[in-house]
Amino acid sequence: MDERIRIGVDVGGTFTDFVLVDEGRDLIYTGKRLTTPDDPSVAIIEGVARLVNEAGLDASAVHSLVHGTTLVTNTIIERTGAKVGLITTKGVRDTLEMGREIRYDLYDLFLEAPPTLVPRHLRREVAERLAPDGSILLPFDAEAFRAVARDLIEVEKVEAIAVCFMHAYHNPEHERQAKAILVEAFGAVPFTLSSEVAPEIREFERTSTACANAYVQPRMQRYLERLEAQLRAEGYPGTLYVMLSGGGITTVRAARSFPIRLIESGPAGGAMAAAFYSALTDTEHVISFDMGGTTAKICLIDGGRPDRKHDFEAGRVRRFQKGSGLPLKVSVVDMIEIGAGGGSLATVDAMGLLKVGPRSAGSAPGPVCYGLGGLDPAVTDADLYLGYLNPNYFLGGEMPLDMATVERAIEEKIARPLGLSTLQAAVGMHHIVNENMAAATRMHLAEKGRDPRRYDLIAFGGAGPVHAYGLAQLLKLRRMIVPLGAGVTSALGFLVAAPAIDYVRSYVSRLEQIDWSHLNALFSDMQSEARTLLIDAGAQPEEITMARTADMRHVGQGFEISVPVPGGPLDETALPLLRQAFFDVYQQLFERTVRDVAIEAMSWRLSATAPVPNVRLNFGGQPIGAGTALKGTRPVYFQETGFADCNVYDRYALRPGERFSGPAVVEERESTTVIGPGATVNIDAYLNVICELP
Amino acid sequence: MSNARVETDVFDPVTLEIFWSRLISIADESAAALLRTSFSTIVRESNDFGTVLMDANGDSLSENTGGIPSFSGILPRTLKHFLAKYPPQTWKPGDCVITNDPWLATGHLPDITMAMPIFYQGALVGFSGSVAHSPDIGGSLWSADCRELFEEGLRIPPMKYLKEGEPNPDLHDMILSNVRLPDQVLGDLNAQVTANQVCGRRLVEFLDDAELDDLSGLSRTLQQRAEAAMRDAIERVPDGIYHATLDADGFDADETHITCTITVKGSDLEIDYTGTSPQINRGLNTVMNYTYAYSAYPIKCALDPNTPRNEGTYRPITVSAPPGSLLNPRYPAPCNARQLTGHLLAGVIYRALAEAIPGLVIADSGSAPSMRAVFSGLDRRGNRFSQILFASGGMGASAHDDGLPTTAFPTNAGAGSIEAFESVSPLIVWKKEFRIDSGGAGRYRGGLGQECEIEIRSTEPLQLSLLSDRWRHPALGVLGGHAGATSAIDFSDGTVPHQKSRTTIEPGMRLRLRYAGGGGYGDPKARDLNLVRDDIKNGYISAEAARRDYDMS
Repeated sequence: MDERIRIGVDVGGTFTDFVLVDEGRDLIYTGKRLTTPDDPSVAIIEGVARLVNEAGLDASAVHSLVHGTTLVTNTIIERTGAKVGLITTKGVRDTLEMGREIRYDLYDLFLEAPPTLVPRHLRREVAERLAPDGSILLPFDAEAFRAVARDLIEVEKVEAIAVCFMHAYHNPEHERQAKAILVEAFGAVPFTLSSEVAPEIREFERTSTACANAYVQPRMQRYLERLEAQLRAEGYPGTLYVMLSGGGITTVRAARSFPIRLIESGPAGGAMAAAFYSALTDTEHVISFDMGGTTAKICLIDGGRPDRKHDFEAGRVRRFQKGSGLPLKVSVVDMIEIGAGGGSLATVDAMGLLKVGPRSAGSAPGPVCYGLGGLDPAVTDADLYLGYLNPNYFLGGEMPLDMATVERAIEEKIARPLGLSTLQAAVGMHHIVNENMAAATRMHLAEKGRDPRRYDLIAFGGAGPVHAYGLAQLLKLRRMIVPLGAGVTSALGFLVAAPAIDYVRSYVSRLEQIDWSHLNALFSDMQSEARTLLIDAGAQPEEITMARTADMRHVGQGFEISVPVPGGPLDETALPLLRQAFFDVYQQLFERTVRDVAIEAMSWRLSATAPVPNVRLNFGGQPIGAGTALKGTRPVYFQETGFADCNVYDRYALRPGERFSGPAVVEERESTTVIGPGATVNIDAYLNVICELP
Repeated sequence: MSNARVETDVFDPVTLEIFWSRLISIADESAAALLRTSFSTIVRESNDFGTVLMDANGDSLSENTGGIPSFSGILPRTLKHFLAKYPPQTWKPGDCVITNDPWLATGHLPDITMAMPIFYQGALVGFSGSVAHSPDIGGSLWSADCRELFEEGLRIPPMKYLKEGEPNPDLHDMILSNVRLPDQVLGDLNAQVTANQVCGRRLVEFLDDAELDDLSGLSRTLQQRAEAAMRDAIERVPDGIYHATLDADGFDADETHITCTITVKGSDLEIDYTGTSPQINRGLNTVMNYTYAYSAYPIKCALDPNTPRNEGTYRPITVSAPPGSLLNPRYPAPCNARQLTGHLLAGVIYRALAEAIPGLVIADSGSAPSMRAVFSGLDRRGNRFSQILFASGGMGASAHDDGLPTTAFPTNAGAGSIEAFESVSPLIVWKKEFRIDSGGAGRYRGGLGQECEIEIRSTEPLQLSLLSDRWRHPALGVLGGHAGATSAIDFSDGTVPHQKSRTTIEPGMRLRLRYAGGGGYGDPKARDLNLVRDDIKNGYISAEAARRDYDMS
């Protein structure tokens, strides 16, 4: 591959992170700036310029820039998207608001319904109807469609249109006719067809996805176009890519039609980075653990690839409550989010028990120790009290932490009401947050039928390395890995991701009743679209790999499982292979097979990928400390030893091959790695901390 | 956690929080295993299952978070019956006892209850239990019109489904020879066994980690805490005797009448149903276990929604109903559609308590009882199918907000996808939309019901079983709120089927189902007129109703 200069940019809520990889000189540079929420491109342009300058390069040398953003998810959470009109099949416009008709909390009589992005008076219907096999029961009424579209656009002044017709995943003909009318008569108004954004069975989820896409589309299109133009104006000739929620990257041109696919782009970057480190350290099975200020994210990585799934829930009424948000049919890295971060607050509940999170102090006022007015003790406060954090070296010393106030807050708010010592309260806070994360991880593994003992932990995020050791102990893991530069992991993840795209077509059939020519047509359709798109993104045709899967289940069963499907044209000779593949996956997930119940397929998927860029890790751009790594000692609390003097290492002075044993803490600017007694550490060639638990 | 090795019942608040959360996670992991491997539509679409971890006495320690109240609260009672037949010392590792007896378990034959012992260091320390709605149990399918229990399907007394891990082949054959979908039924029975095994394994790991020898001290402590929380909550309700009645369609001339008297005294709450209709020879009878569960659940929601549930939760609440009544029938009364009666209890309980705790209750829900249409026969390709249309009426309004539209309460059955429904049946759903003006007027409006219109596109006639109520008796409002709209079912040719019947339907017919709306809360004249205007704009209410109910000029 060519030796190129590539930059990853992750726009987060608080910080925008930058990573520059210079493949020719084999160097990596990193940077961080405050996000500029009103116009994120301000921080991006400034940060990129600074990084390019630090690397001694010129804008014209930059081959490409990969961008991830929280803009899509924030638009939905903050409800700042476009005024959308929805046009549906006659009789079902309320699908969007009825949802799944469940209560996400069984015991709350007053629960708030998940938001409806398109209010009822902006939901219109037209006569048309398809049967599940795609045949036409009622023809499309083009004139009626034109009239309702005109009313929505000209009278109601909607800024985007979503169209969702019944069974359009199987036969998009009516939606295409609707599209022709929209293009011809109202060309300037952005629109989303359900059969394009999510050609999958289940009308609520598909409608919801189409509406959410329309909702974020005008804003994202404006933003991406402007950013591209600004970069051009600043003299960057390279391509602007964006990170997709599923862990692939794509061009701005491909992204502008379906911006909803960017909904999890930041977290996907983190998972891709963890996947990269798992390959780098030869670790087959990895739990990726990213703990920040408000949440912890857990993702499983097997064989160098993060687990993925094809649905996601956005804009939850209660952030950590399944079912309280909008379901989206998009490919995402399959991760769980737990209300456990450095800012998670400790409280005493009505029964006199200690609770930690999910409420968070956020970054303002933040934990008590920030001294910014926070009064309630947070996890970071307990971590400071227990000696894990250095009050004089938080964010590299930029933010001195106030120990005396912390001690008082824990004493008054937690210890005294519970009848505990301050130490017991602080230990309790640290333990409970670890327990919460361990429980969620166990549940995630259980739902996937995986055995935790096969996994190692990779930790990043500001609080990840502080809590990784405790989490690994609870999960009985034997090894944990803490990469250098934990603060910019997502941005690095963008650079180790490949151009990739996922397609799906729903075609429901029992296996023995499949119409093979129809199925082959679906796959060849997806394949040619994928090839065009990836070549456009810079891939060589011969380098593109395609993997096929199908969502299958036993007839009557509610869960579909993802089953590999062989390549090439399929006919009835594939039948035994498909059946066996189904049984294999079923056996792995559920530890049994049921032979005599028919199998049916719901959806067929194609995942196309260009080769992963070859990034070598050399932190030449990092200020590596000279001299000795052992900075000194300080008292640190461990369950086994109580408070005991413990070695403190400077992360930047640790050299490859160095070894030491716990208890120890390793300090870097954005995080601190805690190592328990009896553990052994070695520093690998890429400056990763590799810790073997006793 | 090393400080947790305790000989007494004293746990510090940190340890107790950690242990309690772990025990709930164990029930949740068990539930995940069941849900993942289950075949039954009813399990996955309407969450019709529950898992419970119980201590060595058979008392509940933790229940799965999303557990259906009728299941999790009843399991310990069923286990007590198991223990009466098989004393604790006779249980061996790998044993699994099964029953679906309505009186011992959850009130109708399709629900299968299973329990397995959990051993630690050779001693019996607890039981794992699960209940799930089976894909089939023989008999009359899901219907309300049987005259005896024996028509409703196979009854399994408490028996060993597994003996020391080995299947009991006679029982196996017996069950599988009496059901329509033996493979699916077997699949779901095995899913329950898996769930129980997961629960057992996780408990053993927990005891290892916690360095506990058994659960006795912990169990006592957790049950005391939950009981204390419920007692605190009941004490906040003013002492008194509260009263309400409720009428429902029942079966033909046998209308359902429920009389509810709630006595609150200190931290005890007693619900009595003396005055309720006698049992009838149709499947609406609600056995005492089910009556208890659907009485305790609305109390828990209103008074103490946040405390995790275990045996202690239920101790302060007692429920009684006269033997031989609709809410405490004698064997062998038919009880297949007992939800048509049991779901009504939340509404009458809340109306009784509305004056005493106006901020904590909701008005009666149109979605109680759930209305179901069960279709079965051959699809257009000749595949045998059986599909239930899951859809709900509106929920009752509260002092805080309008009732949720089309949402089940007190059950939590979701709605499936129409496209998925149509893909596996010869049916087309032409309409599934909100019913305008169906929510009861009030300061806060009842949730809207919905209307569904379904065309039969099979080549052969299909079987239809209807389970519905509220045709004549709407969901009532509270504190001045109006009643919601009643429900109705008819055919395109103008004929009206029996509301609780099994009939044959011809290809080409269209069935129209109108689901009831929820009751309103408070005087409609007190409603914010901006909300009324929004309701008109969105077509939730008509301009005419706005004038009539809200004085909107």
